[in-house]
Formats: sequence, structure tokens, C-alpha cells
Amino acid sequence: MTAADDTSTGNSSLAAAAPVPRIDGRHLRSARTKQVIIEAYLALLRENPQVPTAARIAERAGYSVRSVFERFADLHALRVAATDYALARGNAQAAAGDVAGNREARLKAHVETRAGICEQWLPLWRALNANQGDSAELKSRILLVRQAILKRIELMYGTELATLEEREHRQILIAIETLVDFESWAHMREHKGLSFAEACAVWIHAIDRLLPPTPVS
Amino acid sequence: MALPKRAALKGPRIDGRRLRSQRTQQLIIEAYLALAGENSPQVPTAAQIAERAGYSVRSVFERFPDIHSLQVAAVDHALAQIAAPLPCHDAGADRETRIRSQVEGRGRTCERWLPLWRSLVVNQGESTELRQRVVSLRERVVERMESIYAPELSPLPAVERRHLLIVLEALTDVESWARMQEFFGLSFEEACAAWVQAIDRLLPPTPAGS
Repeated sequence: MTAADDTSTGNSSLAAAAPVPRIDGRHLRSARTKQVIIEAYLALLRENPQVPTAARIAERAGYSVRSVFERFADLHALRVAATDYALARGNAQAAAGDVAGNREARLKAHVETRAGICEQWLPLWRALNANQGDSAELKSRILLVRQAILKRIELMYGTELATLEEREHRQILIAIETLVDFESWAHMREHKGLSFAEACAVWIHAIDRLLPPTPVS
Repeated sequence: MALPKRAALKGPRIDGRRLRSQRTQQLIIEAYLALAGENSPQVPTAAQIAERAGYSVRSVFERFPDIHSLQVAAVDHALAQIAAPLPCHDAGADRETRIRSQVEGRGRTCERWLPLWRSLVVNQGESTELRQRVVSLRERVVERMESIYAPELSPLPAVERRHLLIVLEALTDVESWARMQEFFGLSFEEACAAWVQAIDRLLPPTPAGS
């Protein structure tokens, strides 16, 4: 049983005996304000690829520019915080795959999840790459994203990849990683005019061809 | 026998001043390309370009009304080199030779033009001219693949062929090449081998007799 389950049963004696964490209302409000500012920044990026100014972010969030800079030392710090927020959300989205399914189910689950992430986070990804400059913090996050994509591919297609010798395994991994890149998705959607479903079908078909046959268990 | 006078010679008139101006223009473009490559994706300033070319800033703006025009001219210069006829001795070769030839050619192009490509993509902004050139570059890459892999692609239904070309284009993108080298740490040969392996798996079987 978890702490959440205890609360749901309404066991008042247990609730009274357990040390209740003190809820600091001011801290909560500040965290909420931070969250709203991050969401305003992300919403503006989705509307326009140009990095929004502090004034526009403040206006969208419904706070003053001073409030923005009380929570974030500068726009770079806001960018880093927004990236961490997106990383957490993206990881949660990616975890929802059908890892144990058959080849077809895994292909579909992986591609649709990845496509959903590309669709949602492409503007931030572009801003991140365009503004990384010499920022070690942003560069490390780009690296984290790439590593997470690779891990997901290895997890989803471990059965097939395990049949390959090391060199070939790496080559196919690189090819799939390239294929499911944000810009590859953007190219299909923005330049080739494919629908979400068509673009997913292109990826599924290509990954299916890249992978070796699934071993019979 | 007396030699004919210079004025009497018939031939194209060589305008020395015009030639010098073209040469200056060329040097400015080359200076821009060198700096754009070194500082990619930052666009070099007029002062930097002038200094590198060995001219004054005024000379730069006498030939190009603004930096954007210079950018466009430089991209056209690069495009002309990229699009220069590639050796076609492998066009009728077997599958393995064609894949290797296409991959190595593409690898060399990516290696050489990556900084300029990044600069172009980052700085295209709202410029219709630069955007057109990005599209044109992409189209040339696709056309080349369509031609070199014609034996495998032509039997496919139109939609399937189109989708496969999209995949091949994504796979052999300049940034894909950059990632193999910068992120995965592959050498030129290793990166080529990865592309060869992937293209060979993606292409349908070569029809007999091709």
C-alpha cells in the first residue's frame, strides 16, 4: 500500500500520527508562477520559431517582466528550465510504448510515440539547437535527448538488434536514429505535406526494412 | 611582313576593368565562404569579409548591395560546385558499386559543405531567395538518388517510390552525416559504411538484368 492509498481510505488515526509535510503556500505559488512562465515560453515558441522576448513571455504568462526575472536569472536560465520540463514530459510520453509486443506492435508503438514527441516538441528542439551556442547546459541536454532516443530504439528492437554482430548493430542503430530525428519528421510534415498517419507509415516501413528478421522464440 | 595593328584584330573585346571587378567579386565570395565555414552558423560581418578578401568595406558594398545579396551569391557559387557533373562512370554499374559511389560522393559533399549548410539553414529566416536555394539543394540530392537507384526504384508504385526517396533523403542528410562524425565519432570510412549498409537494406532487390 502506498501513502496515496492511505489517504484515499480516509484513515484519520494514521493521518494524524504521520508527520505531515508543511505546505508552504508561498513556495507553491512561486513554483506555479515558474510553471506558467515556462508554459508561456513554450507556447510562444510553437507559434513563432524566433526566441520570444522577456516582455512577450511575461505578457503571455500574465505576469510582469520583473516576475519573470525574479524566477529566472536570465532568458538562458528560462530556456534551460523549459528544456528540463520538456525532457521530463518527453520521457513520460516515451515510456508508454508496447515494449513486449510482436514486431508489428512494437514498430507501431515506437513510431507513433516518437512522432507524437516530434510533433509536440519540434519548436523547442529547434530553439535548443539554434541557441545552444557555447552553453554547456544546453549542449548536455541535447546529448541527453539523443541518448534517450537511442536507448528507446535499443529497448524497442532489442530482440532484432541482438541478432546482429556489433558493427552492424551499431550501423542499424545509427540509421534508425537518423530516420526518427526531429528534422526528418519536420521534413515529411512541412515540406512533403504528409499527414501524421502517412509520415508514421513511412517510418514504420523503413524501420521494418532496416531491422533484421525477428528471431523465432 | 608588317604585323597587323592591334585595332585591326578581330576578337572579343576584353574589358580589363570588368574582369578585375569580377575577380574582386569572386575573392569577396570566397572570403565569405571561408569565414562562414570557420564561424558557422554565424554570418561574418562586412568588416571581416573585407579584411579576409584584402579589400575595403566600401569595395564589398560596391559589388553587393548588402550582406544578404552576398550570402545569396555565395550560396549560388557553392551550388554550382556541388552540382558540377559527378562522374557518371558508375551509373550503369552493379548495385554495390552504385551505392558505394553515391555514398562516398555524398559523404565528401557533406564533409566539405557542412558549415555553409548550417549557416544557410540557420540564417535563411524569411529570405525567399535563401529558402529557394535550400529547397533546390534538397531537390538535387533527391534527383541524383533517383537516377543512381533507378533500377531498384522504377519498379515500385509511385507512392512507395516517393516514400522511399523521402527516407533516403533523410538518411543522407548533411546533419545526419555530421551526427555520425560528431556524436557517434565515426571516421569518414565508418560513416560511409553505415550509410551503405542502411541504403542496401532500404532498397528493394535489384531486378535481374539491370
